[in-house]
Amino acid sequence: MAAAAHPPRFGSLLLFEVLVRYLVQRLLRFAVVFFIVTFGLMVLMRLGMNHPGDPARTMLGGTVTQAQIDDVTARYHLDSRLIVQYWFWLKGMVTGDMGVSVQQNLPVSTYIGTRVLVTFFLGVYSLLLAIVVAIPVAVFQSYKRDSVRDKFLSVSSFAFVAIPPVVMGVLLIQLFVIHLGWFPRTGEKIYPWDDPVAHVKNFALPVLALALPVGAVFSRLLRADMVRTLQSDFITLASAKGVSTQRILWRHGLRNSLFSLVTSIGLQLAGIVGGAIVVEQLFNMKGMGTLLVSTILSKDLFVVQALSAIIVATVVMVNLVVDLSYALIDPRIRQMRALS
Amino acid sequence: MTATIEAPVVEMPADAPPPKDSLRKRLHIPRFSVLFSVLWLVGLTTLTLLANYAPSVVQSIMYPYSTKIRANGKAAKYLAPNAQNWFGTGKSAEDIFSHCIYGAKVTLIIGVGATLVGLIVGGFIGIVSGYFRGWTDRISSIFTDCLLSIPPLLLALILILRLDDLKDVYSWLSWCTRTWQITLTLGLVAVAPFARIVRAQTLTLREREFVMAARSLGANRSRIIFRELLPNLVPAMLTVAFTGLGILIAAEAGLAFLGLGVESPHTWGKMIDIARDDIDKAWWATVFPCLMLFLTVLSFNLLGDELARRFDIREASV
Repeated sequence: MAAAAHPPRFGSLLLFEVLVRYLVQRLLRFAVVFFIVTFGLMVLMRLGMNHPGDPARTMLGGTVTQAQIDDVTARYHLDSRLIVQYWFWLKGMVTGDMGVSVQQNLPVSTYIGTRVLVTFFLGVYSLLLAIVVAIPVAVFQSYKRDSVRDKFLSVSSFAFVAIPPVVMGVLLIQLFVIHLGWFPRTGEKIYPWDDPVAHVKNFALPVLALALPVGAVFSRLLRADMVRTLQSDFITLASAKGVSTQRILWRHGLRNSLFSLVTSIGLQLAGIVGGAIVVEQLFNMKGMGTLLVSTILSKDLFVVQALSAIIVATVVMVNLVVDLSYALIDPRIRQMRALS
Repeated sequence: MTATIEAPVVEMPADAPPPKDSLRKRLHIPRFSVLFSVLWLVGLTTLTLLANYAPSVVQSIMYPYSTKIRANGKAAKYLAPNAQNWFGTGKSAEDIFSHCIYGAKVTLIIGVGATLVGLIVGGFIGIVSGYFRGWTDRISSIFTDCLLSIPPLLLALILILRLDDLKDVYSWLSWCTRTWQITLTLGLVAVAPFARIVRAQTLTLREREFVMAARSLGANRSRIIFRELLPNLVPAMLTVAFTGLGILIAAEAGLAFLGLGVESPHTWGKMIDIARDDIDKAWWATVFPCLMLFLTVLSFNLLGDELARRFDIREASV
């Protein structure tokens, strides 16, 4: 009997198995991408270092003695094969030792620590602000579909999409710093736990410059999905049953329309990190972007490797979390995965 | 006796008359946004071509690239916009309007070149992985995942700076000027998104009847790919190309702003970088390049959006 050969498995068990398999698949993928990218960047950074004593000689820069070169080479296994060097580097990263900035004679972790934090604040605030602005705007637009206000918001969000961070930053400086004088010109790094007001003032403009274009993309995606959801039968049924408009919009409509928005967060995050490089330069903030440019130029290899590894790991990890959380939130996706 | 049962007559409500098209639609006039973007792009391209290849035609409104504007016998630094210098003059007494137009040449070349690189490489990867699926698809999707995991501007930054160094070491790289470097790296950045969209389209197309018909007639793979699939992918590719052009031009401005632009002529990003410190003295030197950048990116986005709507390609819209 077929039924006996395949004993029926019940929902929760099947779901658990599917989720575990999915999680393992995604984690494997994450690991493979991380290894390939970091190793590729390492190889890329060492291309063309053909002088005797390289890469230690180029890393140290300027005039150095043979003893110094030998010392650095021996300490970081720089004379062994690339893959062996990569292994040692990876081992260091896992145990929390990111190597040493040879030129600054500082451990990489202390050298980049504060700078990573500045960029981290910038990225997190921008992403949050973009989402917080986009959702109400898109819900309002889909509720008042094709009205004058909807059209106005559509046009302005399209305009915001087309403003590159450079232009946005320059215009914000012109308006808020020079004309109104509300904000300081340069964003010095001030931790929120030291002086919250100054922290907000320093980060307000750079975050706005990064968040507005991204928020506009989010609201366009969400509006399109939400309009489609609000036309479906279950919404009609809900309103026929007398569910209040607010509840229909925020519970029934929004929850079923988040797919495009959530999946695009990962992609937009990469854009935000890239834009942060420009914005940091524009507002003279001491973040990762400016450090990265200067260390690539001065060939401080371990710093470049550590910084790019942090960025790549963050982007991939956020993508993973977004994917998983969506599978957990939306029953339809779970079922699709279970069936396939 | 036979009972006749009459079917009840049900009044069917008359169909509502279809909504009348607006005058604009009946006269086949394109939407305002499309009209505007086409006019802007055509105007910009024409002016740029004329300025570079037939300078005598535009002599009355533009100055040669290295002209210094003089007023009262000395170099007119930061002259406000006036009848002769529409956008004012900049830090080294150059005419901002002329420089905006000269800069457009490099920007457009890099934008179009990078889009072509992205379309060809990304399109190839997308079609192959969508058509063959299986391991080809898995490997190429790992490749695109790798590209997507590095922020585009960061990847471009590392590659351009490295190519600068490598040019000095390897003589066979000497053809790689700054323009080439930026075009190739931005092209690489564009590969992954293009490949994704083309792959998604190919996956749906390969299941369609006409592909099956071609296969049952004995068509080989290359015929199916080039004669059946590729023509049907053109709308999707065209749509992403326009959207991508806008994004790549913005990226080029970002790079130029960071000091990784073409040395001469300055592009818009570089002009913004030069003038931004004096923005309180001379807003025009910064704001007009910003405006050019904004309008150009906007036009490409609008056209991409219009194409996405016409061809019903959701993934490609911004």
